[in-house]
Amino acid sequence: MDTFETLRAIISDKFGMDAAEITPDTLLDTLGVDSLHAFDIIFEAEEKYGIRLSLGTDSPKTIQDFVNLIDEARAGQGR
Amino acid sequence: MRRVVVTGMGALSPVGSDPGTLFANLMAGRSGIRRLTTSFIDQRDSQLAATVEGFDPLVHFPKIKANSLDRATQFALVASQQAVADAGLDLQHENRERIGVSLGTGMGGATTIEESYLRLCRDPASRPKPFTLLMAMNNAAGSQIGLDFGLTGPCMTHCNACASSAIAIGEAARLIRHGYADAMLAGGTEALLTYSTIRAWEVLRTLAIEDPEDPSASCKPFSADRTGLVLGEGAAMLVLEDYELARARGARIHAEIIGYGGSNDSAHITAPSVEGQARAMQLALNDADIPAGEIDYINAHGTGTKLNDAIETAAIKRVCGTGIPVSSTKSMHGHLVGASGAMEFVACLMALREQSLPPTAHLKQPDPECDLDYVPNIGRRDVNIRTIMSNSFAFGGSSGVLIARKI
Repeated sequence: MDTFETLRAIISDKFGMDAAEITPDTLLDTLGVDSLHAFDIIFEAEEKYGIRLSLGTDSPKTIQDFVNLIDEARAGQGR
Repeated sequence: MRRVVVTGMGALSPVGSDPGTLFANLMAGRSGIRRLTTSFIDQRDSQLAATVEGFDPLVHFPKIKANSLDRATQFALVASQQAVADAGLDLQHENRERIGVSLGTGMGGATTIEESYLRLCRDPASRPKPFTLLMAMNNAAGSQIGLDFGLTGPCMTHCNACASSAIAIGEAARLIRHGYADAMLAGGTEALLTYSTIRAWEVLRTLAIEDPEDPSASCKPFSADRTGLVLGEGAAMLVLEDYELARARGARIHAEIIGYGGSNDSAHITAPSVEGQARAMQLALNDADIPAGEIDYINAHGTGTKLNDAIETAAIKRVCGTGIPVSSTKSMHGHLVGASGAMEFVACLMALREQSLPPTAHLKQPDPECDLDYVPNIGRRDVNIRTIMSNSFAFGGSSGVLIARKI
């Protein structure tokens, strides 16, 4: 599974929703993901990949933003 | 001072998931005590508990929300939804700055804490999940009730072991009585049936030995062959309101809370004292400004331990004499610790509504030290009762006694 598919599986499981409803462009707001739920999703991704994500000042707004964050962290670790 | 009435009730118990079913099962003498079937069962001596069977949080909450709430909070929210619906309160049209929450719990998010410790102990490199603290904190349930119903009045959590929710209801009534709130969601919740919690009770030698013929009959309050209490789980919530406001909106009134007595033994961390229990009962009578003779039924703390039941009997006799029917419904729904006072108060309110006294189940052997009318084994219907007293006494020495009257 690529990063998007993994993240989609995490989110669809957490929200109990159909994975097909989640696309790279989906806004986290529209899923009802607040900052706490975002921490929860980040946590699951970190556990899954053995990484630590640095959020900086721009918090992710779309699923693709999340994917990019994860991919950057994984690249930093040489995957 | 304002009068305080109960206009809504909710209950999620080991013998019924609403107040009506709870009371029907208590009247029928049906016990919710059973042998636990969890995976850790073979590691413990005690295998008994009164569980809320078949509770599925996904029936009540979206998955994302269910996963961020401890079982105790889930119970409290479901009971609160029932209570608000029963009260017929349309919160959208109420001044929610004048409505608060007063919740009792003994061990808060015990399940979450245990799961977190297990996770960390199994893998020291792991981390607690992000919602751990917010699920585990003792005020989680009360705060979540406030959030869900948009209540911005006072929000208090009372943590006094087995007296928590009686105290929560009494203190909530005082807030309304003295004008600090117009209505309160008050009650208690408990979900502590975890491996370490049950074992911790077990080593104190407080838990009942399993009845060899019928595990569901293992809790035998006031019976000479009683061996201890059986832990349970669940939640009970009430809507309390200022009497005049409730009447103005045409609310159905279950009963008026006319007395509350709170005291502390300050004698021993576990052993109950006649003086402490009697003082709490007397304070409640003083608060109600009625003589003991006006009490028609007492729902006892009645845990089923050797010590409590004899001490409580002596305390009741000292304050109320020997003529009042007393029963312990813990013989059927188990000891709900922080939720027990609220659950038993709901049973009392149902007793007033149905004009019936729930029995003390499994009382087969008279004990000379327990010589009151305990409504043994068979409930009484078609009684004429107007005023009830509900006793709650806690490890730590706290007592909470409530008196309610049908109006």
